[in-house]
Amino acid sequence: MSVVVVGAGLAGLTAATDLAARGVEVTVLEARERVGGRTHGIEVAPGAWVDAGAAYLGDRHTALAALLAELDLKTTPTTMDGASRFALGGADRTRAGRFPPLSAVALGELFDALEELDRGVRADAPWLSAHAARLDALTAAEWAREHLRHPDARLFFPLFLGEMMAADPADVSVLHMAFYLRSGGGVRYLNAFAGGAQEHRIDGGAHQVCRRLAAGLGERVRLGEPVRAIHQDGDGVTVVTATASVRARAAVVAVPPVLADAIEYRPGLPAPRSGTRTAPGCAVKVHLVYPAPAWREQGLSGWSVNARGPLLSTVDDSPAAGGVGVLTGFVTGREALGYAALPAAEQRERALAQAARLFPGLPEPIGCHVTDWVHERYSRGCYAALFGPGDWTRLGPRLATPHRRVHWAGTETSTEFFGLMEGAIRSGHRVAAEIDATYRRRDLHD
Amino acid sequence: MNVHAVADVFRRVLENPRIDADSDFFLTGGDSLLATRVLSAVARASGVELAFDDFLDAPTPAALARKIQDAGKIPDTRNIQDAGKVESPA
Repeated sequence: MSVVVVGAGLAGLTAATDLAARGVEVTVLEARERVGGRTHGIEVAPGAWVDAGAAYLGDRHTALAALLAELDLKTTPTTMDGASRFALGGADRTRAGRFPPLSAVALGELFDALEELDRGVRADAPWLSAHAARLDALTAAEWAREHLRHPDARLFFPLFLGEMMAADPADVSVLHMAFYLRSGGGVRYLNAFAGGAQEHRIDGGAHQVCRRLAAGLGERVRLGEPVRAIHQDGDGVTVVTATASVRARAAVVAVPPVLADAIEYRPGLPAPRSGTRTAPGCAVKVHLVYPAPAWREQGLSGWSVNARGPLLSTVDDSPAAGGVGVLTGFVTGREALGYAALPAAEQRERALAQAARLFPGLPEPIGCHVTDWVHERYSRGCYAALFGPGDWTRLGPRLATPHRRVHWAGTETSTEFFGLMEGAIRSGHRVAAEIDATYRRRDLHD
Repeated sequence: MNVHAVADVFRRVLENPRIDADSDFFLTGGDSLLATRVLSAVARASGVELAFDDFLDAPTPAALARKIQDAGKIPDTRNIQDAGKVESPA
């Protein structure tokens, strides 16, 4: 039994590791010269790594926790001690805790409405939810105009959605937003640091997970091999890259749906797995590196929420081991598209100027790293694909359904923890079990 | 909105039946996001819009009910009517 896995992110490497453990002959083809996909580490100072991509996890992310234990990786709590900064119109404000200086009643009405949506969606098959057609026809922006009366709720909603799913409200359907909330454990779990989906980071960086998985697979992982085509016949698949073709009994495509659709399939897919309204997750992550986390001396947590960009929120991501101070800025939604288009010098200047306004007295930075996921050729967005109007109804049933010998993985194929590292890992385990069940049985009959 | 009605809102939002007049919201599973949902329920029932910091000052049903009384200028009859509405299933 042999399988080719396309993509060496969390999903592909989890699948390959599971398959190899079952005695399957595995080849992993990765387009980039690195493994990791949407996890990526940057060494900002000697021995100090930050997460340029996926970073956070919570206690419900059990598949990731199990993998970390197997790989001997530790987690570190996200630090949120101290006061927050808010620039939400009017004068900038400093407040204890994370609650913004906005009407609590208005935000309560927003969260009430979001929870009602969450309750109404079918987590395992959102396209079969009651009112799926209506919820899938409407964008989150249209929904907000209809349901949010209070100006504070209207101000906060796009910031919230940007933070939570790197989406502009105009880009996602209400069904996708509701599904995302449900899939991730509800609005409260997704939003929370302590006790929620951002409780921990991986000590030393999330990129180590894929690095260690790849190390375990050794020469079975081939870098710099973008897959162009997958041909199938009665006996197996031929996966074609620029320089090679690999024959196997089955293939696992573990890349985002938009990239998977760019591969040439013979026979062709019955229908694509992305649509014209499927948008890339709109996230640019900025890491500002200082000699020390100076904001802590002023009683500040490093957390800020800002109505104007580029940094719509900031968080203290300083390495647990000490040393440098790292302020991570999130540029999301529409803001990300504008910011990504700026020259590097201007990106840097704007990020540093905003950080200096938010945290007066910051020393000169020793580093500034901008990671643009929107235009990243082999990711096309982060955190995950954003399903627009009509997408779930049309694409939902096909996202994880095999095309003969081509099987699908990736966080977008997981209805559990969609868009998160946890969803990617679960999809990898699922596809490995699927292949095992399909071909082991066939082998017995062959 | 009296203390019983406020305690009922706490119970519903916290999904915890064991809330009494002196239970501290933030020590019985409440966080800031859930706090906003208490305050939106209070606003619906009583017409009184409290700020997040008001709730931090008065985190028990008894204390919050007093805040609502102090802030409210709405006749008692309307309080009772609307409190009934909040408790009916959504």
